[in-house]
Amino acid sequence: MDLIYTMTTSAAATDVITLADRASAAVDTNIWLSILYMVLALVSIGALTAVLGIVLIYAERKIAGHFQCRLGPMRVGPHGILQTVADTLKLLLKEDVVPASADKAMHFAAPLMSLMATVLVLGVIPYSPILQVTDVNIGILYVTAVSGLGVMGILLGGWSSNNKWSLVGGMRAAAQMISYEISATLSVLVMVLFASTLSLNGIVQSQESGWWIWRAHGTGLVAFVIFIIASTAEINRTPFDIPEGESELTGGFHTEYSGLRFAFFFLSEFINMFAASAIAATLFLGGWMPFYIEGFETFNKITSLLPPTLWFLGKTAFLIFIFMWFRWTFPRLRVDQLMRLEWKILLPIGFINLIAAAVIVLTKFYFFPV
Amino acid sequence: MTAIVRTLDEILIAPAHPGRGATQEYFLNMGPQHPIAHGSLRVILLLDGETIRKVIPVPGYVHRGIEKMCEHLNYRQIIHLTDRMDYLSALMNNWAVARTVEKAAGIEINDRIESIRTIMAELQRIQSHALWWGVLGMDLGAFTAFLYSFRDREIIGEIFEETIGARLTMNYIQPGGVMYDITPDFTAKVKKVLAYMKRMVEEYDTLLSGNVILQERLRGVGILSEKRAVSLGCTGPVLRAAGLAYDLRKVEPYGAYEKAQFDVVVGTTGDCWDRYYVRIEEMRQSIRIIEQLIDDIPAGPTMVTKFNTKIKLPVGRYYNHVETARGVLGVFIYSDGGDKPYRLHFRSPSFNNMWAITKIAPGWRIADMIAIQSSLDLVIPDIDR
Amino acid sequence: MTEQIKKETRKIGLKDIPVAVVSPLKKAQSGLSALASLAKGMRLTFSYFRRPSKIVTQQYPENRATLKFPPRYRAMLKLIYEDNGYHRCTACGLCDKACPNGSIKVITRKGATTGRVELDRYIWRLDSCVMCNACVQACPFDALEMGHEFENAVYDRRLLVFNLNRYAGPPASVMLKAEESLRPAMTEKRDRYGGPVPLNGAQIPVVKPLTIQEGDL
Repeated sequence: MDLIYTMTTSAAATDVITLADRASAAVDTNIWLSILYMVLALVSIGALTAVLGIVLIYAERKIAGHFQCRLGPMRVGPHGILQTVADTLKLLLKEDVVPASADKAMHFAAPLMSLMATVLVLGVIPYSPILQVTDVNIGILYVTAVSGLGVMGILLGGWSSNNKWSLVGGMRAAAQMISYEISATLSVLVMVLFASTLSLNGIVQSQESGWWIWRAHGTGLVAFVIFIIASTAEINRTPFDIPEGESELTGGFHTEYSGLRFAFFFLSEFINMFAASAIAATLFLGGWMPFYIEGFETFNKITSLLPPTLWFLGKTAFLIFIFMWFRWTFPRLRVDQLMRLEWKILLPIGFINLIAAAVIVLTKFYFFPV
Repeated sequence: MTAIVRTLDEILIAPAHPGRGATQEYFLNMGPQHPIAHGSLRVILLLDGETIRKVIPVPGYVHRGIEKMCEHLNYRQIIHLTDRMDYLSALMNNWAVARTVEKAAGIEINDRIESIRTIMAELQRIQSHALWWGVLGMDLGAFTAFLYSFRDREIIGEIFEETIGARLTMNYIQPGGVMYDITPDFTAKVKKVLAYMKRMVEEYDTLLSGNVILQERLRGVGILSEKRAVSLGCTGPVLRAAGLAYDLRKVEPYGAYEKAQFDVVVGTTGDCWDRYYVRIEEMRQSIRIIEQLIDDIPAGPTMVTKFNTKIKLPVGRYYNHVETARGVLGVFIYSDGGDKPYRLHFRSPSFNNMWAITKIAPGWRIADMIAIQSSLDLVIPDIDR
Repeated sequence: MTEQIKKETRKIGLKDIPVAVVSPLKKAQSGLSALASLAKGMRLTFSYFRRPSKIVTQQYPENRATLKFPPRYRAMLKLIYEDNGYHRCTACGLCDKACPNGSIKVITRKGATTGRVELDRYIWRLDSCVMCNACVQACPFDALEMGHEFENAVYDRRLLVFNLNRYAGPPASVMLKAEESLRPAMTEKRDRYGGPVPLNGAQIPVVKPLTIQEGDL
């Protein structure tokens, strides 16, 4: 009943009820209900991963096609909507080749690690007030920590393949992702300062009267731009796709992967893109929070007609489209230029931005009410 | 004069394992199967981390013995093999052989044939440079550029298809003339394509040339000095980008090039950016040449010899060359008086341009290697023949 | 970007050559203009994205009916048949000689009634043909043309060797002079596959016998 309630009424001031909350609440009364909630969480994360993979890969190919005066996939199903299903089937049926001199255990573990790191992030993203597996009170810290694990998978994959191209790709990935993690974290910290909470749902609810991107006195916009650039690098997409470097390193870290293991790497790349967009939407664009302007009650009522999930998905989809737009427009940077961009440009700006945000929050030097 | 002949294996002896903790140089095979090879060119890199210490090109993976095959074909049949050398400037290759044979056999070519040949060759130069632009974009990660360039290439390809009947291996310019006369609506169609291509070259500038990432990838990378370019025998845009205004179309005008006004595009520093922009500007110059020639193509027959008559060259050695999209294609014929060459040799532009990588790539990174190799615009079948 | 070009004249050998000099990029674009250059590229790609009319892809097998080929398009070689069903080939063999890679073999026979040399089989190997048009150019009787059929994929390479002539016998010019009643005796039917040339539909040891189905032809 309350499910329908929260879906239909204004999202503002609604209590957040995550699946974990429901499970823990039901533990004392009905253990089976509790288990059901947990299973539901697991199944839904799994299903989300699969659906995201299928939808995002199809979207990428279709969008790429239209950027390039092509149609994209058109054959499997109407307008090729089943193309990804066919591709997945192909990858599942393909022979899984492991190089003879590869480190077999590592070679096996690398794609799993990469996928695991990205899927774990999906658990804490607030899709709507009631659609969230668990709202960890250190949410954003958890996201940063877990998604940082992804680099391990890529590095391991590059290392264990025993292929020089893969190794170069893996090394590049390690250098790049660790560097850009700093910038991403710095811009996240700005939002944490303003929201004064680490919980992702807390951050969303703190944006009730306006999204942080423009309510954070300019620092929000700068942080948003830095976060988008840094996450493009972290998810290995053009112009920062040097670990993969299709025309440079012949596929980079996943040169020696085929079949299902390649599919895992591929999937984790797309889930990563979704996760990065979702986090950016949550931090800067209000997550599931509809577009509210304080004082305009009628306007606010109209915007809250759309369910929060749609708001969330819309913002995320917009950011994903931006990522794809980048990819189908830009050439890729060189390794040293990439490092220069991070350490000499983004990092100083990020620090200054963080200090500015800290000063604003400490001195309560607000241009307009927060 | 002494020559030190070293086998590949000798060069490629792995360095002895150094002590613990020391870094080690390693060999990396770039190709024959590598996205940058655009065919099969094997380049062995000696690397220190990502820094290139030494570059050893190993051509020969698409060697088909075209020169040897030519010894068994008569002068008309040779033409179709030249299509398959530098397939992006097939017409200019045809022209090189046709011109050498005509000069040697004393066949006089009328102005109409010269005009048609020139227009076709320049159309193909635009087509070739457009494709190169897209491929450079793709090599540097901008995949969209590749498809835009292919789209524009097809538009010129349609003109070829209509006039010649083929898009790639055309066999059009033959000793004594051209295969077909131009179609009645050729002029109008070419004008339309030129107007379109003018817009598209601007678009290329917007998408890639102005792009800060591309400029940073190309600026100052792989500098080939004028002196070195000359000593390596580089020709075409690679030589002109190094600063020498050597263009056979101006230096030894042939075809109808004397009738048209155009500039030879040269660079100043000889880096990848110069090689890049010289080609972009050459597309504009080619458009300019065609615009001047297209309106008054002289009247006359398009084939001055009968197809079934044998062409016999007097005993002797003959050499002639034309400027293809990649540089100077020279054709050397040793004739024993028959209708087939006793020996035929092609001085292909890509072969000489390729050796530039051994001099300009060391010291740069793997990523720069991509930019350098792509900016040289190598066509592998032209290297191996 | 045209400000990149400076015009001047340079001396190469004895000639003065007009030269367009590409100015070097001295330094990197500064922050804002760099971002603007990226934005310009993004605007360009988006302008194509939002205009589906600019799509150039053709949906190939579906558009077979509307595919248009220019008349000179070069694909499958064929003998031209006049309306009365006779070809013009006199079996002179010039095309055979002009072919750069031996794709054409003209087999002649002595005509039973005329006593003159006439065409027996016109064998053409698609598997080695490069569509160079030399045979069409060489033919003094305009008996050959390059057709427009381009879908030639088959499962057996023996199916790539054809008899181009439908009948063995003299060309139209001779046939029309002969009396109508004599004409059938002068010709002999030839099918598309079959004949003494290796691989022309013939049996090869080890390889399974070739069964030609209706769809293959």
